[in-house]
Amino acid sequence: MKHLKSINKKAKTVEEAVSREEVEEVMAMQTVVGCTATTDPGWEVDPFGGLASLCAPMESDLYGCADACWWPAQVPDTMSTYPDWSKGIDKANVDWRKLDGIFPEDE
Amino acid sequence: MKQISKKSALLIGGFLALAGNSVLYAASQPMSGEQIIQKRCMDCHSETGNPSLPYSRISEQRKTPEGWQMTIQRMVSIHEAKMSADERKQVHKFLSDTQGLAPSETTALRYGLERDGNLLENNDPAYAEMCARCHSGARFGLQRRTEEEWSLLVQFHMGQIPTLELHSLARDRPWFDLAMNQVVPKLAQDYPFESAAWKSWQAADKPTFEHDWAITGYIPGKGDFDALMQVRAKGGDLYGLQVIGQYADGTPLTGSGQAITYTGYEWRASLTLDGIKMRQILAANEQGTRMQGRLFMAEANELGAAMVAQRAAKGDHAVTGVMPSHIRQGARQEITIVGVGLKGTPALGKGLRIVKTLSAGANRIRLLVEAEKDAAVGLRDVAVGKAQAPAALAVYDKVARVDVVPGESVARVGGNGTPIAKAKSAYRAVGYAAGADGKPGTEDDVRLGYMPATWSLKPFDETAKEDNDLKYAGAIDANGVFVPGDAGPNPERKMSTNNVGNLNVVGTVDDAGNKVSGEGHLLVTVQHFVRASVL
Repeated sequence: MKHLKSINKKAKTVEEAVSREEVEEVMAMQTVVGCTATTDPGWEVDPFGGLASLCAPMESDLYGCADACWWPAQVPDTMSTYPDWSKGIDKANVDWRKLDGIFPEDE
Repeated sequence: MKQISKKSALLIGGFLALAGNSVLYAASQPMSGEQIIQKRCMDCHSETGNPSLPYSRISEQRKTPEGWQMTIQRMVSIHEAKMSADERKQVHKFLSDTQGLAPSETTALRYGLERDGNLLENNDPAYAEMCARCHSGARFGLQRRTEEEWSLLVQFHMGQIPTLELHSLARDRPWFDLAMNQVVPKLAQDYPFESAAWKSWQAADKPTFEHDWAITGYIPGKGDFDALMQVRAKGGDLYGLQVIGQYADGTPLTGSGQAITYTGYEWRASLTLDGIKMRQILAANEQGTRMQGRLFMAEANELGAAMVAQRAAKGDHAVTGVMPSHIRQGARQEITIVGVGLKGTPALGKGLRIVKTLSAGANRIRLLVEAEKDAAVGLRDVAVGKAQAPAALAVYDKVARVDVVPGESVARVGGNGTPIAKAKSAYRAVGYAAGADGKPGTEDDVRLGYMPATWSLKPFDETAKEDNDLKYAGAIDANGVFVPGDAGPNPERKMSTNNVGNLNVVGTVDDAGNKVSGEGHLLVTVQHFVRASVL
C-alpha cells in the first residue's frame, strides 16, 4: 500500500484500515445476525461496517456474485441450490422488479 | 412478497406447518411419522439394524422444530423426496418430538428461532471464521450431532457450495483441514448428540397447555398490552386459543388463533390479534408454568417483541408486569400490576403510597400511587399476596441516560413493484437514573424501563452525510418504526445506487422538561433474497 496513493473516498477508507486481517476479524465478530461477514465484496455490509464499499447499485452486478454462491445465505446461488432463480431475468439491472425471494412456507 | 411463490415451493426453510389453519398437523393419519420415514426416505437413507439409531444420517441428529423443517424442505426441494404436505407435517412432528433439543439446550440461542435479527452474535472465533461467515451461529448451535454427522455437514457444504473455497477466510488458509480437524471435534464437544439434559427431558413428564394464561407483550406501533389467553386442546398437541385483553391505555385487544406444541415445550401459534396476523414462538419452562419468547407480525417478522405467558391455573400466582415500571420522586401516577392470582393488598416498597385502588381483579390491579419526595432512588419489589416480582418498579430522581434498543439494527429496502416487502425496524427508548454515584453510564445506573420518546434520524458518519443517506434511506414514525426506502437503483443518487443508508436513530425522552437522548445504529441495506426458518 505504501506505493499507492488513494485518489477517491473508497481508497482512502481502505488505506485507513489498520490491516485487512484486522478488518476481516472485526467483521467476522460484529455483523448483525443474519448478515454475511463475507465482505470482498459484501452483500449488505462492507468491510468497514458501512455501505460505501458495496457494489452499487447491487442490481448492476448481481449475477456476478450470485452465480458464484458468494453469499449463499442471502442471495440464492444459481450454481447448485436454486438454478432457476433468475431464469428469464437476463439483465438484473433492467428487470430487477421480477426477482423473487426464497422464503419459508408460511410467508 | 408472494405468499407461496413458485420459488418458495423450493424452499430451504419452513415455519409452520408449525402453525396456521391450512397447515396444521392432522390428528389422525393413516401412517405415523416413523412409517412415512420408512416408506418415503429409504431410497436414499437406509435402515441400520440398530434399534437405537435405526436410520442412516437421520438418527444421529437432533434439531429444533425449525431445524427439522429446514431439513425436510431441503430433502423435498433438492433431493426430490416424494412426500405430501400432510406427510411432511407428520415427519416433522415425529422428528421434532423424538429427536429434539432439551429446553436448557436452546436457552442461549432462542433468537435464532424467534426471528429476532437485530442483535450482534458473540460467536466463538473458531465458529465465527468458519461457519458464521454466511449464517448465524444459532443455525448450527441449535443442532446436536454425532462427530461423524458434524463432519458430514462440512462435506455437505463443500459439495453444495463449492465456491466457498474462494471466500476470504477459506482461500487464505487450509480451511478444510481446520474444519475437519479442529471445528468438527469442537462442534461434537460443544453440541453433542448425546446429553444428560436430553435424556432427562425425554424421561420427564411433559406439561399440559390446556389452561388460561396471563400474557404480556408489546406490539410495535401499538404499544404494551396484557391479556388472558384461553387455550383449549384439540388433540394431537393442537390447541385453539382466544385472547381478551387491553393495551396499557385501556384500549381493548382481542384475538384468536391456533397453536401446536413440539418436543413437549416448544409452542408455535398463529393468531390474529387486533386484526393483525401474528405468530408466537415460545418455550415453556420444564414445569409448564410459564412460556417465554417472541410475538411478531406474520407479514413482517422483524416487527415484534418479547412476550411472556404465565399459567393461570387454580392456585397459581405471579406478578408478570408493572406498567409503567418507574415513578419519579414526588410524583402521583397510575400504576397497573398484571399477573395471575392477584389477591390482597399490593406492597410497592418503601417511599411509595397507594392513594387509591382504581380497580382490582385476579389478573389486573390499577392503583393511584404517590412517591414521597425523598423516596430513595432504586428498584422496589412488587408483591400482591403470594405473588411477587423482584426489582419490578423503579423510583428515580431524573432520567440521566437513554438507550435506544436495538442498539445495532438492519432495515432493508423493498417494495416499489418488487415481490419483496420492505424490512422495517422498530425502536424503543430505555431510561436510566444515574444511581448513587450521580454519573450516567456506570454500573450503578438504575434501569427505569421503556419510556415514551420522540424519534429522529441523523447520518451515522461523514460518508453518510455526503451521500445524503438521510434523504433516501427512509423515515421513522412517531412510534419508533422505521420504514426504509424503495427497492431498485435510484437514478437520483450517485451511480444510481440503491436507497441504502448508514444512520443513527435518535430517541429523546422528555423527563418533565429535561430532554435526554440516546442513539442506536441503523444500517439500511439491500434485500435478503433468502430467508430461513432459523436465522
